[in-house]
Amino acid sequence: MVAEGALAAGCRFFAGYPITPASEIYEVMMCELAGRGGLGLSAPDEISSLCYCVGASLRGLKAMTATSGPGWALMSETVQYALMSETPVVIALVQRLGPSTGGATHGAQGDIFLAEFCTSGGYTIPVFAPSNAAECYELTRQAFNWSERLRTPVVLLSDKEVGMTTEPIDEAALAKPAIVERTWCDASARMAAYDIQRVEDVPRFGPVGGEVKVTVTGSAHDWQGRLRKPSPEVVELLLHLQRKIEAHAAEMAMVRSDLDPEASCLLVSYGITARAARQAVGMLRKEGFPISFLQIQTLFPVPTEALRRAAAGIRTVLVAEENLTGQYRAVLAPLLNDRRLMGINKIGSMISPAEIVRAIRRAGGTIPRADWPRQRSSEAEVREPAGTRKAGV
Amino acid sequence: MGNTTYLAADAKLPYCRGCGHALVVRQLSRALEGLALPSRSIVLTTDIGCVGLADSLFPYLHTVHTTHGRSTAMAIGMALADAVLPASGLKPIVMIGDGGAMIGLLHLVHAAQLNLDITVLVHNNFLFGMTGGQHSAFTPLDWSTSTTPEGNRVPPLDLLALLRGAHAGFLDRQFATDGDLNAVIADAIAYPGFSLVEILEICTGYGGLKNKSKGMALHEVAGHQGHSIGRLKAEQPRPTFTQLYRRDIESKTVPLVGNEGSGMLDVRVDAANHHPLPPPPAEEGNQFYDREESRPASLRDAGAADLRFEIQDSKPMHVVIAGTAGERVQSSAALLCRAALSAGLYTTQKNDNPVTQGSGFSLSEICLSPQPIQYTGMESADVVIAVSQDGWNELKANGTLDALTPGSLLVLDSELESESPTGQLLRQPFRHDATPKRAALAAIAFWLGKEPVVPNAAWHSVLAALPVERRTDVSEALRIGANLARQGGAPAD
Repeated sequence: MVAEGALAAGCRFFAGYPITPASEIYEVMMCELAGRGGLGLSAPDEISSLCYCVGASLRGLKAMTATSGPGWALMSETVQYALMSETPVVIALVQRLGPSTGGATHGAQGDIFLAEFCTSGGYTIPVFAPSNAAECYELTRQAFNWSERLRTPVVLLSDKEVGMTTEPIDEAALAKPAIVERTWCDASARMAAYDIQRVEDVPRFGPVGGEVKVTVTGSAHDWQGRLRKPSPEVVELLLHLQRKIEAHAAEMAMVRSDLDPEASCLLVSYGITARAARQAVGMLRKEGFPISFLQIQTLFPVPTEALRRAAAGIRTVLVAEENLTGQYRAVLAPLLNDRRLMGINKIGSMISPAEIVRAIRRAGGTIPRADWPRQRSSEAEVREPAGTRKAGV
Repeated sequence: MGNTTYLAADAKLPYCRGCGHALVVRQLSRALEGLALPSRSIVLTTDIGCVGLADSLFPYLHTVHTTHGRSTAMAIGMALADAVLPASGLKPIVMIGDGGAMIGLLHLVHAAQLNLDITVLVHNNFLFGMTGGQHSAFTPLDWSTSTTPEGNRVPPLDLLALLRGAHAGFLDRQFATDGDLNAVIADAIAYPGFSLVEILEICTGYGGLKNKSKGMALHEVAGHQGHSIGRLKAEQPRPTFTQLYRRDIESKTVPLVGNEGSGMLDVRVDAANHHPLPPPPAEEGNQFYDREESRPASLRDAGAADLRFEIQDSKPMHVVIAGTAGERVQSSAALLCRAALSAGLYTTQKNDNPVTQGSGFSLSEICLSPQPIQYTGMESADVVIAVSQDGWNELKANGTLDALTPGSLLVLDSELESESPTGQLLRQPFRHDATPKRAALAAIAFWLGKEPVVPNAAWHSVLAALPVERRTDVSEALRIGANLARQGGAPAD
């Protein structure tokens, strides 16, 4: 459904390299693009994959590649180039168990930091996390829309369990956000570079090979794209790369909430674990335990307003995610510093609804911290607020 | 368009006195003047290093300044995209140094293999000049550099010989000082396909001073390396990737038929659907996009086929089907899912196999539920179907058998050597009666004969959707399984 979403969004170029669990996207794009006036190409490695996509995007095509953690690691140079040169491109990152080549056929949600914090300078890369096939379709369309609109790389972050599970979708019910194109400069423009009026503006795009002279660079540059040592103008353009994202953060925020005004406990999750979390919430409510639930689809920029609303009146926030140290919990921590923040974490297999229920019961509001039972090693473990105890499995 | 002066008339070249880069830049400009190509049809793609400063000298050309070694890769992307665009004819010219040629060697090889219409000018000054004269993969033997003070001991790369192996059509080696370098560059640009000119220079800042005694005339340096000068290869041009791509597209009179799962959506982009901005999806009062949870209806409520069998408590039923790779385990599981779907059930299917895929076990995990399925895993299987020893052994190894409950049902092939697991055990000669390739489907039909989770009618639409040649095979397997269910299948012990 990632491939379907990409094709629907107008993706016309794909370069890929085989890697489990992202190969199916690669295969579908290779089969489908030529028949739609596009081009799919097998690259000799992931560095090439993304470079080819960036080149094709500079020429004016919507472009995507798909990979998993080991391939993404090779792409970080070109992700930064796309960010700096303001080139739209979408990367579908289908997570698997790491580190290194890790477990190719095991799911994980361990690439949150790797995906988001891969740039020197710590720029915000929009990251969207689907939890099922229908969301893969919708969020891929959104990924293209925001990538084109803001001229920036966007990551679609799924995992093996989302990407390689066959499930039915209701085609009529699919959300189909309207297609957005990058804003092109008109032929009368003198040149197409990084000309903006306000720091958060997105410069108009001119294709390499078009009528308007294009200057593109990944080095620090002035508004004309000329390589320059840092001057106030150059620094302003570096700031602009972040400001243009921040200016649209609220609009980019996508969540699915299921809030209970009586709840003192909020469960937050995303991607594959959001499915188990949703089921766990149903189980807890059946027992009469009031609980709110927030599934975050836009991991970055962090949907702060949605989080603030969901956490209103909440004492304990639990973040369920399939990684060792609670990567997204660490991202949310500064926003929730007046609440008890806990993690439900596990690696090696999906966190089950029953594990989430047990973890929440153990953590449940009234039990003093000292009385929490020791976790069993095979169980998703509850983690206390960062820094209060040494992490260990 | 149509500028005849490519290098800025007032260009102040940023290179060291005597550096070959300045000569190459002037010769490139002369070559372009001679060819009289429209300036907007050219993109100068520059690499990291002193050579990367060239983009600012050509104010009329499109320029893309890239990361180290990737100038060729970005040019490949542009050339590929150009193949599908109607207004095509973009000519990428890549300016790269010897350092960039090595770190981006893969891209040079692939560009040559693809035979894209790209011209690469490798400025080989035998070392890394911009960073202080460190040796490169192209540094001659015995040369002193800041990183080989005792002399370089690694023989330099013969790039042209290497690219000959990658089927490059135009390969040439020249001195930056050659007066007719412009003609060679022009030939390379005019060549319809991948072309590369390696241009030998001396880095005046770091190359010359330290190695004077070794003979700094370029012909001496090249001679010591055994490098020939001039055209290494200029073959009759073969079709470029772009030409082959267009030929393929034109020959396709029938639209592509997608494989499973694709082509089911109308995904063609409708021009009328394009809007400059997305409609604000936020709910009133919220800036962010929040779809509050709604309780999805059962498919049955929507009027799907009636179920003959209630899945208890509306909880998903978990089925594991295991067998041997190549024996249609996963495709049989997919057929079950389709039948269940047409009977109004939600389904998920996950497959597993060893790394090699074509040997050892093959396994599918299926959830069936009258309600939308959230968690796709299982704490314990309700039904285990195993039709080969490979499959059974994997169920033992992956913990499926350990997690069984007394309520679990096991449908096993009679040939299996198995201990007595927890749960109700049914054995039938699926492999023998139905053949190994039909065993999984026969076992599924057998199970459904005992527990009609999916009504028989649901298989009609599954069969109708199959290619004719598969239909007989599938219905035969289903028939054998159903017969076995009718004949017997009492608990084995």
